[in-house]
Amino acid sequence: MDSLNISRHISGQFNEDLERIINLVMQMGGLVEKQLNEALESVSQGDEDLAKKVLSNDYQVNNLEVVIDDECTRVIAKRQPAAGDLRLVMAIIKTIADLERIGDEATKIAKVTLESLTSKHKELLLNLDNLGRRVLECLQLTLDAFTRMDVDAAFKIHQIDEKIDREYEALMRQLMTYMMEDPRSIPQVMSVIWSARALERIGDRCQNICEYIIYFVKGKVVRHTSVEDMKKI
Amino acid sequence: MMKNSNKEQQNMNKWFRSGSPWIWLSAGGVSISLISVLGLLWLIASKGLSYFWPADIYEFKSINDKGIHGTVIGEIYDREFIPASQLAHTAVKLPPGQETVERLLVKTGNRELVSLDFRWLLVPEIQTTTKPEEVVVIERRTNGNFYGYIESVILEGKEVDITRLPELLERVDNFQEEIDSLQKTHIGAINYKIERTRLKERKYKLDNELTEDLAKELNGEVAALEAEYKVLEAELMGLREEIARDQLVVRAMDGQTVTINFEHILKITYNNKLNFFDKFLTFLEQISAFLVDDPREANTEGGVFPAIFGTVLMVLLMTVIVSPFGVIAAIYLHEYAGKNALTKLLRIAVINLAGVPSIVYGVFGLGFFVYMVGGSLDQLFYPETLPSPTFGTPGVMWSAITLAILTLPVVIVSTEEGLARIPSAMRHGSLALGATKAETLWRIILPIASPAIMTGIILAIARAAGEVAPLMLVGVVKMAPNLPLDGNFPFLHLDRKFMHLGFHIYDVGFQSPNVEAARPLVYATALLLVTIIVALNMTAVSVRNRLREKYRMLEH
Amino acid sequence: MISVTPKAVIDSPNKIDLANLSPEQVALEIKNLNLYYGEKQALQNISMAIPKGQVTAFIGPSGCGKSTLLRCINRMNDLVDICKITGEINLHGENIYGRHVDVAELRRAVGMVFQRPNPFPKSIYENVVYGLRIKGENNRRVLDEAVEQALKSAALWNEVKDRLHDSALGLSGGQQQRLVIARAIAIQPEVLLLDEPTSALDPISTLTIEELINDLKQQFTVVIVTHNMQQAARVSDQTAFMYMGDLIEYSDTNTLFTTPSKKKTEDYITGRYG
Repeated sequence: MDSLNISRHISGQFNEDLERIINLVMQMGGLVEKQLNEALESVSQGDEDLAKKVLSNDYQVNNLEVVIDDECTRVIAKRQPAAGDLRLVMAIIKTIADLERIGDEATKIAKVTLESLTSKHKELLLNLDNLGRRVLECLQLTLDAFTRMDVDAAFKIHQIDEKIDREYEALMRQLMTYMMEDPRSIPQVMSVIWSARALERIGDRCQNICEYIIYFVKGKVVRHTSVEDMKKI
Repeated sequence: MMKNSNKEQQNMNKWFRSGSPWIWLSAGGVSISLISVLGLLWLIASKGLSYFWPADIYEFKSINDKGIHGTVIGEIYDREFIPASQLAHTAVKLPPGQETVERLLVKTGNRELVSLDFRWLLVPEIQTTTKPEEVVVIERRTNGNFYGYIESVILEGKEVDITRLPELLERVDNFQEEIDSLQKTHIGAINYKIERTRLKERKYKLDNELTEDLAKELNGEVAALEAEYKVLEAELMGLREEIARDQLVVRAMDGQTVTINFEHILKITYNNKLNFFDKFLTFLEQISAFLVDDPREANTEGGVFPAIFGTVLMVLLMTVIVSPFGVIAAIYLHEYAGKNALTKLLRIAVINLAGVPSIVYGVFGLGFFVYMVGGSLDQLFYPETLPSPTFGTPGVMWSAITLAILTLPVVIVSTEEGLARIPSAMRHGSLALGATKAETLWRIILPIASPAIMTGIILAIARAAGEVAPLMLVGVVKMAPNLPLDGNFPFLHLDRKFMHLGFHIYDVGFQSPNVEAARPLVYATALLLVTIIVALNMTAVSVRNRLREKYRMLEH
Repeated sequence: MISVTPKAVIDSPNKIDLANLSPEQVALEIKNLNLYYGEKQALQNISMAIPKGQVTAFIGPSGCGKSTLLRCINRMNDLVDICKITGEINLHGENIYGRHVDVAELRRAVGMVFQRPNPFPKSIYENVVYGLRIKGENNRRVLDEAVEQALKSAALWNEVKDRLHDSALGLSGGQQQRLVIARAIAIQPEVLLLDEPTSALDPISTLTIEELINDLKQQFTVVIVTHNMQQAARVSDQTAFMYMGDLIEYSDTNTLFTTPSKKKTEDYITGRYG
């Protein structure tokens, strides 16, 4: 935590406020990670109970988002953060929005489990599982980087996302082939496609979070910049 | 018992620690000062003002130890008890056992008849005391008051009815006024002009510029003035003669009749006939006469107008001199002088100047201003009057300057304090608007410091108005023939000597031939001096308060 | 594929490049300025260019020399005997510490408003015309017009137009400060120096003054020293952060308050131990 220089404020209250917010973000991150993990688990195991649990737990993520939003608003109103502090608060506000969306995506994936799929289609889910593992790993790395505010890690994760994208495209092509081969399977394949799409979105959101980390640490906006430009930073 | 006393002790300690003893102590201090001031004022006011209150006139018939009958008419001046033993050598018979005897001091006036216008009467010797209504008090220009009965009134050589007395008095008053104006204004002016013309002639002579024409011209002028003088003199003599034909025949206490020329009479009052209201009017009249009249009889009678005028004029002159010098000196010390040891030394010197005894200033004024500066001025500008000095002799200007130096430290110190109190934000504000230091001083600093400057001036006035000792050396006289301000060019005669109330008190009280008669006058004059100083101060204080209100600073 | 768009730059209209100011854009140029109070050096080698028609703020902890630097600009430090200055400050390309400079004239060109309102104990009218009278202007009509103009510019006209000849000391603190600003702008200076102008005022008066400062930059170059960082952030276009007599960072306000480049600046504006 000290690497963030938070505890060096003259105002102890300010320190406490920031620390509390960061802890809440960690907690939210952990929760989202668990949700995604369980969603993927339910898909691969076909465990409908687990999937239901994921769906019913989503409200916790939403609650946390509201709480953190509130805390950030209070800090801005009361402390008028400047420079690094301001960037931190801004980054957190944006991060939690993305985390909440990741939570939503996790519930979408869990919903797939609840749809009755034939065993044939269950094979499709195996491919999904691969992508899922990769995305989950990406999310874990991102949260890790966020905890340490590690810019280098953030850069690396930014690049992992490219791989996820490629894997997603490959999966898409595979699923397209299925649909062309057997048009009757289109509804089932579509639900798999939605899950894949959700995973891909999660990868993008991880990328966003990494951008916020970079913004917080470097003070530079790296959104919508090319990789080459980013490397110059 | 033990417990009780312990408790008392504790209560006592508590009371001490509460601080109330100190409040009582300081309140006591204030009370004492207040009581002494009020006591002083009461003493001089009662003694001084009673002088103006028309007293009852008594007629005492007495028989002394030798069996001689006597009549005394006069006002009771004082009464005291003396031990009987003091009278042992006289044959006064006292009831046995009586140890003190009361005696009265009676003012009898009638100085031309008796050597002393006061006499002591032993109460046991007095047989009857009456207040006859017909007794008059005649206030005269010479010889003091006359107490007696009016026998007859003579108008232009013929005896007339006594009821015409007020008319006669008015007539005399008018004549006197005419005589006064002739004497003082017209004849005085001509004399002054003649003197000036003579001086002019001498000056030309000294400068070797006197031509015959010029001499003739000047002589002509003098001759014309002298002719004018002759006319006025004749007029004056005529008036005097006319007035001398009116007379009053009065009978004194011992039966002698005295004829008094109306010329000498100022006022006739039937004191015993006056009721309270009349007495009060007379009282006010007497006070105003005291304020506006010239002194008579070696200052022991009459008014003190020249002394009032001299005091006020000298104080005002002093103020006019000391204020600019004091303020300029303070400004230099505070604003321009470097903040070094020399300035500190200078400041200490200024403060110490205030502690020098005033008579030393008098000596300095006499030696430096009067003899050195005045002497040189005479040689440079008034050689024609020499050897009689113009400025080389004590005068009102030297007095004012001497007192100005005496009061300079007061003005400097308080002005400097005022300057130091002005927040630097004022200075900076002005400087930041492009004003130079001098402009800032003139437009901002001095106006804001003006209440402090006024405080200095008030203190200076208070000190100067009460100062007598140095003035005795540099300009005050017992009796000045002319006021320093009159109708002759250049109107303000700074070289003239002047009269001063403080010196007047000293002179009347201790230097006059008739100390007993002058005693009430001392109190009256003292009261007047205090009143004038208070009035001068009040004026200055009100000016200062107005300034303060105007330049009231916000709480910085 | 992630679509890559070019960097969108949204900047304030009067955005200028501090590092490359053209001579017309510069109101004041401070070059290698050193200031010593006796033995102690209070300003160390300050060099900066203050742009014309903008608000430049000096911030920094107490005793960092920001007020001292401000006072150098109209030579108020001359009043301190032990103060010694090297280096130069150029106004119109002329060094104000040059030998033939008339200080009074300089101060007419560079007005100053102090921490506490310091109206003179005169009427409102006389306060405003003080500088003009010093300049020798006594024409009643010119003065009347200048008073109205200055008071309007200082957003005070409506409040005091009916009592111009009342004492200025009867005004509230905020009004007094605006009066002092009116007094300073009545003589049409080029540069207006504000030395913590709101530190003695309540928050609402402070906001009025800040609003006023924003209006004033249309006509004048404003340099403001403030303890209040949020105020600097609100009113200024450029901000200079000073620390222990050094100019640490000088950049446009937006940058300085979001992404300062120096750690000392960051620590100061985020309220961390030095």
